Amino acid sequence: MHLKYESQLREPLVSGNKNYHQVTEDIIRPIEAKPSKLWYVGFFTAVALLMFGVYSVYREVTYGIGQWNLNKTIGWGWDITNFVWWVGIGHAGTLISAVLLLFRQGWRTGVNRAAEAMTIFAVMCAGQFPIFHMGRVWMAFFVMPYPNSRGPLWVNFNSPLLWDVFAISTYFTVSLLFWYSGLLPDFASVRDRAKTKLRQKLYGTAAFGWSGSAKHWQRHESLSLVLAGLSTPLVLSVHTIVSFDFATSVIPGWHTTIFPPYFVAGAIFSGFAMVQSLLLIVRKVFALEDYITLGHIEAMNKVIVLTGSVVGIAYLTELFMGWYSQNKYEGYTFWYSRAYLFSPYGWSYWGMMACNVISPQIFWFRKMRRNIYVTFFMSIIVNIGMWFERFVIIVTSLYRDYLPSSWSVYYSPTIYEIGFYLGTFGLFFTCFFLFAKYFPVIAVAEIKFVLKTTGENYKEKMGHLEHVPAEVFAHSGHGHTVVENHGSN
Amino acid sequence: MASIKEQFEIPSKLKTWSYALIAVGALALLAGLFKSGMSNDEHKQAIFIGTIMYNTIFWTLVCNASMFFICITTLAMGGWQQSFRRVPEAISTMVPIFGSITLVVLLYVAFSGKHQIYHWLDTDAVNNDPILKGKSGFLNLKFFVFWTTLAIGLWTVLGYRMRKLSSEADNGAFDNVSGAKFIFKNTVGASMFIAWFGLTVGSTIPWLWMMSITPHWYSTMYSWYTFMSSFVSGMSLIALWVVYLKNKGYLEYTNQEHLHDLGKFMFAFSIFWTYLWFSQYMLIWYANIPEETVYFKTRVQGAYKGIFFFNLIINFLCPLLILMKRDAKRNYTLITFMGVLILFGHWIDFYQMVMGSISKDQVTLGWLDFGILSLFVGLMILFVAKALASKPVIAKYHPFLKESIIHHT
Repeated sequence: MHLKYESQLREPLVSGNKNYHQVTEDIIRPIEAKPSKLWYVGFFTAVALLMFGVYSVYREVTYGIGQWNLNKTIGWGWDITNFVWWVGIGHAGTLISAVLLLFRQGWRTGVNRAAEAMTIFAVMCAGQFPIFHMGRVWMAFFVMPYPNSRGPLWVNFNSPLLWDVFAISTYFTVSLLFWYSGLLPDFASVRDRAKTKLRQKLYGTAAFGWSGSAKHWQRHESLSLVLAGLSTPLVLSVHTIVSFDFATSVIPGWHTTIFPPYFVAGAIFSGFAMVQSLLLIVRKVFALEDYITLGHIEAMNKVIVLTGSVVGIAYLTELFMGWYSQNKYEGYTFWYSRAYLFSPYGWSYWGMMACNVISPQIFWFRKMRRNIYVTFFMSIIVNIGMWFERFVIIVTSLYRDYLPSSWSVYYSPTIYEIGFYLGTFGLFFTCFFLFAKYFPVIAVAEIKFVLKTTGENYKEKMGHLEHVPAEVFAHSGHGHTVVENHGSN
Repeated sequence: MASIKEQFEIPSKLKTWSYALIAVGALALLAGLFKSGMSNDEHKQAIFIGTIMYNTIFWTLVCNASMFFICITTLAMGGWQQSFRRVPEAISTMVPIFGSITLVVLLYVAFSGKHQIYHWLDTDAVNNDPILKGKSGFLNLKFFVFWTTLAIGLWTVLGYRMRKLSSEADNGAFDNVSGAKFIFKNTVGASMFIAWFGLTVGSTIPWLWMMSITPHWYSTMYSWYTFMSSFVSGMSLIALWVVYLKNKGYLEYTNQEHLHDLGKFMFAFSIFWTYLWFSQYMLIWYANIPEETVYFKTRVQGAYKGIFFFNLIINFLCPLLILMKRDAKRNYTLITFMGVLILFGHWIDFYQMVMGSISKDQVTLGWLDFGILSLFVGLMILFVAKALASKPVIAKYHPFLKESIIHHT
């Protein structure tokens, strides 16, 4: 048996002197109440966007890829940009739930549930783009490798595009399992409080008969650790393989060895930005400021400034090597097509630099990290910047290839390309609104667990330990006697 | 209340061993100097200097990784490492010492007028080689000397400030206000170090010191790869010292829980190193562009083939298979074995990175390499022990120390 102890210098992870019942009340009450007007407005806006997306996709499927402005050299445009963008966003959830679990970061409990939900919805959105980019989408099942009657027509195992199929479907499956297994105890809580038969039935089914017995908890804990172990390499592998889509080629600006870790850092960067955008709204709407505290927001802003700077070093490394390699094609791509502001797409490169590298540096300052308005603004800026990054990589490398006679005209999207993108926003927010209404947006059981070492309740009980010298603290049977004298824990 | 051993006293055995290692190393150095260093064969001279070079760069970066560890855990508000934080602090005092050796060696290479190692220092060759000429904005004597000196100088200064700040935790208990202020000052110092670290170890320094030995070749991954090689070695070195001190009865608050977490670092970052290795190698192999594959051509198909695959086995397969289990990470003997193995493995990695470019046709690994290694290991043991003895081995009043005492992984 070991004592729980946390320095009083640390900010409480839950503020407002909560007890277990209050935690359940605060988080589960919105599920039981009728949604607010604002929720309906948001939800139906999302559905409307989704409908526009469906119509855009309908145009593309019926009339063909010609509905988009892809052209001779720019065969990947907005669609693949959006694909990579959404996949990137889908990284924060699993990073928070898996990597931060392995690193024992207590603050993850306030944000992991929503972040994992976001991950799953983002990956769903991402998947749409390569599927519909295929054109004849009814042939999409051709990507599955199995013995078939199509003669020698097999998938190409040497192609990173096929590795993507495996990487993303694995990632989606494991993330979903992780998220759902975490939800079980909370569904059971909703079930046990249910006042209507229907709710009790539905949440009871969803809870898989969770009884809260010691055995259930024990299995739940080991399952979490196993899934965390499995997901950790997945956090790296998914965006690594997405980066291979580019880096295995011989296209200037794509073929660079730093791509895998740099894509992963960028993905975490954009994922955290999206988590910030969503959670700042959620905490306000559902009055969850005691659970998603300024401390949580600050911690995530630290991740943003770290990953933003890592990405910045990668950008500068690439730019440097574009010159250092003395390869004129690399040099042309990096120093003309990208870094030269007045080249056709120079604006996108500088937009990316300003949004991803320069502006996040304000988060070196504590005041900025803890300012909600700055955080919200920056989270949007980062998401725009990360969209630019993928646009820069794809379009500025493709629009002028090795053969000047095939150089393309200026590429800008059609209404249906934009519509498809907006449609995925619709899909994303439709899912997210449903999630926010019907699921506990914070992991109730995990919050109760961290209450043992944090919060004002805990501080009152443990305050005296703060002034005990280290020797006494260590030699009192790991603090047992000290604690027992004060009658707690 | 049991008394605890707060003050490290250097055991005479440790001193004897370190002097013996230094003596063996000095002998090897002298022998090498007479045999190769002063020979008329420029290639032999280059091998001699190159051997010292990769050793000194390796040990400088490995010891600097300790300061990186302190700074990154400070920024992450870590508590678990406080019970043994004086160990990485002591190791980081090697940065000025090994850094000075590195500086002297690199300045010698720069000013000796010989161009076997850095071909780009040869002005005639550069003028006849459009690629090298194009790179001369970066690969030139002035910038090399300036940036090398600045990098080592600032690592030293910023690291010194962090260690000095840490000594404040010996003076007396903090209250909530002074404690918060102390933590804040630590984060400021740590972020300055990390920022400079990113601009040097994370990018420019490996290009300048090591990648430029093959001046035509380039890889954007190179510096991150080098960093990870030195980081995982640095974690192993910390673990080795922790185990040593525990065996001598010090570090009372550090236990298997902490060792377990150090073992996790060794395990995880061995795999992360492999990830970077694979990313660099696979992408170059896949695209198969001659100007990029040239680097691996001599290593995979030439004389270095054995070392190349040995590198992967020792730095990937062994940590993966041996450190996977929980028990292994909590076992003093196994952690010691793996710590030595990982340090040796990445020393070999640095060997092939540097010598694979200087002596392309012939593997030079021999008595000179191990002799020089012994010199550096001896110096490291002696000076780290001295640094450990210079202040309490436990930062007694650090506000997060108690979190570390009850740390449970």
